[in-house]
Amino acid sequence: MGVPGTELPRWHAERKPAGGGPAIVVRALRKSFGPKDAVAGIDLEIGAGSLAGLVGPNGAGKTTSLSMMTGLLRPDGGQIVINGLDVWEDPVAAKAVMGVVPSEVRLFDRLSGAEMLEYAGRLRGLPTEEVRSRATQLLDVLDLKADARRLVADYSTGMRKKAALGCALIHNPSALFLDEPLEGVDPISADVIRRLLTRYVSSGSTVLFSSHVMELVEQVCDHVSIIDKGKIVATGTTDQVRGGKTLQQAFVDLVGPRATGEEGLSWLGSSSS
Amino acid sequence: MARLLVQLKLRLLTNALRSSTAAKVSFIISTSFAVLVAVGAFVSLALLRGTATSVDLTTVIFTVFAFGWLILPIFVFGLDSTLDPATLQPYPLRTRPLAVGLLAASAAGAWPVANVIGLLGVTVGLAKGGLGVLFAVLAVALQVLFCMVLARFVTTGMAGLLRSRRGRDLGVFLVIPLFALYEFFAQVVPRVAAEGEINSASFNGFDAWMRWLPPGLAAHAIKDASEGRAGTALLRLAILAAVIVALGLLWIRSLGRALVTTDTSARSSQVRNTALPLARYGRAGAVAARYWIYQRREPMSLAYWALCAVIMAAASASAIFGKQPHPAIVLTGAVFGAAFAGGFHANAIGLTGPPFVYEALALTGRRDLRAYFGGESIVLGVIAVPLLTALSFGLAAAARKPLEGVAATAVALAALGASLGMSTIFSAVAAYPMEKRAGNPMAQPASGSGGYRFSVLGNLAVTALAATPVILAAIFTTSLPEPIRAPVLLAGAAAYGFALAVLGVRIAAAAAEQKLPELYQVALRSKL
Repeated sequence: MGVPGTELPRWHAERKPAGGGPAIVVRALRKSFGPKDAVAGIDLEIGAGSLAGLVGPNGAGKTTSLSMMTGLLRPDGGQIVINGLDVWEDPVAAKAVMGVVPSEVRLFDRLSGAEMLEYAGRLRGLPTEEVRSRATQLLDVLDLKADARRLVADYSTGMRKKAALGCALIHNPSALFLDEPLEGVDPISADVIRRLLTRYVSSGSTVLFSSHVMELVEQVCDHVSIIDKGKIVATGTTDQVRGGKTLQQAFVDLVGPRATGEEGLSWLGSSSS
Repeated sequence: MARLLVQLKLRLLTNALRSSTAAKVSFIISTSFAVLVAVGAFVSLALLRGTATSVDLTTVIFTVFAFGWLILPIFVFGLDSTLDPATLQPYPLRTRPLAVGLLAASAAGAWPVANVIGLLGVTVGLAKGGLGVLFAVLAVALQVLFCMVLARFVTTGMAGLLRSRRGRDLGVFLVIPLFALYEFFAQVVPRVAAEGEINSASFNGFDAWMRWLPPGLAAHAIKDASEGRAGTALLRLAILAAVIVALGLLWIRSLGRALVTTDTSARSSQVRNTALPLARYGRAGAVAARYWIYQRREPMSLAYWALCAVIMAAASASAIFGKQPHPAIVLTGAVFGAAFAGGFHANAIGLTGPPFVYEALALTGRRDLRAYFGGESIVLGVIAVPLLTALSFGLAAAARKPLEGVAATAVALAALGASLGMSTIFSAVAAYPMEKRAGNPMAQPASGSGGYRFSVLGNLAVTALAATPVILAAIFTTSLPEPIRAPVLLAGAAAYGFALAVLGVRIAAAAAEQKLPELYQVALRSKL
């Protein structure tokens, strides 16, 4: 049974995990920018039908890793396999089965929301009538129907994220990659996105997303990987990674607290101005 | 407060100077221009001494300066944080001292100083005698104060709009008349003046109505004082001062409102249709539909076409305004127009910016990329062909050689094909990130992107070279009867141009196929 209000459209076919095997496999993935190792050899395995979170501090390598996994940034080494398709050996087939919401959601802002979704679908080679039908259904589910004719330039951050999610889903991918999908999003939009993702993976599709919001990851993810300084420092089911603590605490313990520098703020909160 | 805001303005200027090499270069160029304007205005005003139209020309120059103060803050709105009341909103500030401080900040910088120095040329030109010079100094001071208050009043009133997308769009559209004006003064005025059609007598009575505007009041006060009519001069300056006070009060009210008003400029635009056009034509149709919409809705795209028309007209200026126009000049105009029609789009992926991710994820094989580049080229062709044809015939008619319109159109069609082909190739092989900087509403190559010079010059050179056979054909077939020459020339040039454009698309698709991730990274670095 789906979550009320976020029923996926009928064209979103049920996907049963193929033998329960991994949908996303990453091996020895590396990327350097000059002397800096942005990603220093990461390995990941995400099972089909999993909603997986990739968490880490700023500059840990989350966006770089997701960009390489989605064929948008050429890695220095390593292998990425999505549903049995090597992203860099067979990019045409691999890109066809994935949907992506980049971190900084920049849409074609002179298109309306409806035009944007239709464009994304038609770029994917979907028939015109089908893409229009899917766009209408997605706009409805994403609560953007009333704003379908507004220019994306006038959308709020939450509306942009939802429109980007619609673009990523319109060709019915089996793996979805989202970079900070809820950053800057209001609670109502965040709830719509969260429920849609939960419903999406229940049909056997796989989601990997990066986030800073530990509560969200803890709440919705069945698999978590913590990345720091370009390396995976913990990976497994959410329960395994947090080890009886909150995910926030487990994260801080693994990554290490940052210096606070609060010693010099003795005046703060005192009666003198 | 005044001291603090002046320090803030100076700090903003020095920080902008330190931010990048491009900013340093911009600062040096801007300061050099300010010096040129100061010297140029001073000398121009001084040279009016003794001429019959000195007061008319002084009024015109004063009005031009006021117009500059009115327009310039719209461009530098994002650059000068003291112009936006929203930056001061969080602080507990009283409006009147803040207004004085903001006026003082307006006076800081090279351009305000250049303004004062330049206008002081009236002390040598229009002013005569001690009283005249005294009134000239007073008039200049009031004129500059009027300009500053006017600029502040307008920017404060328009702050909400200028912060919004619509305001940024307005800034782009303002580029068009300013560029046209620049081309008019750079290309047309010198030619007309050289042929004696403009002289100082042309300005006789020019200020019939401008004399009642604040800049005209200042100029005429100097004249009155110089001719011994101190009372009239004083009255004119008093009226000017009253205008400044009234404007200042309106500005202070507007500032007071802006400091306690949240931004309500989030008006949005609705489109009529929800569906993309050209649905039947697959990926090429989808790309063409998106690109077509952008050509209509994106102000920068519209500005590029307008600038292209201005460049073509400016290149043909000597044929239009010369007494013995050479018809070949219209052909040169056609080459320039076509070169810039493609040249402005020679970095399509950099100009698309981060949204290119949706295209990079969907377009993978060479066939897809041909559809992508082909779709864009079709749209550019659909706009450019009628535009260049109309301009070719229009400029030929203006040059009193209407039949040359046929040859000019043929040259334009061939050159356009070459230009589109080259721009597509450059988009694939020499993409570079673009960015919008404060103070310039048009996108610029990002700092460190040296490739754009190569693209612009390369596009121009190849277009000129590729158009040469058609130019020669046009020149050597003038003896043929026009009913035969015109269709053959036009059809041949169109076919040749089309072949070049198709060749460009095929080369670009082959080049882009292996470097899509790199192209996406370029697009990602664009800040538009």
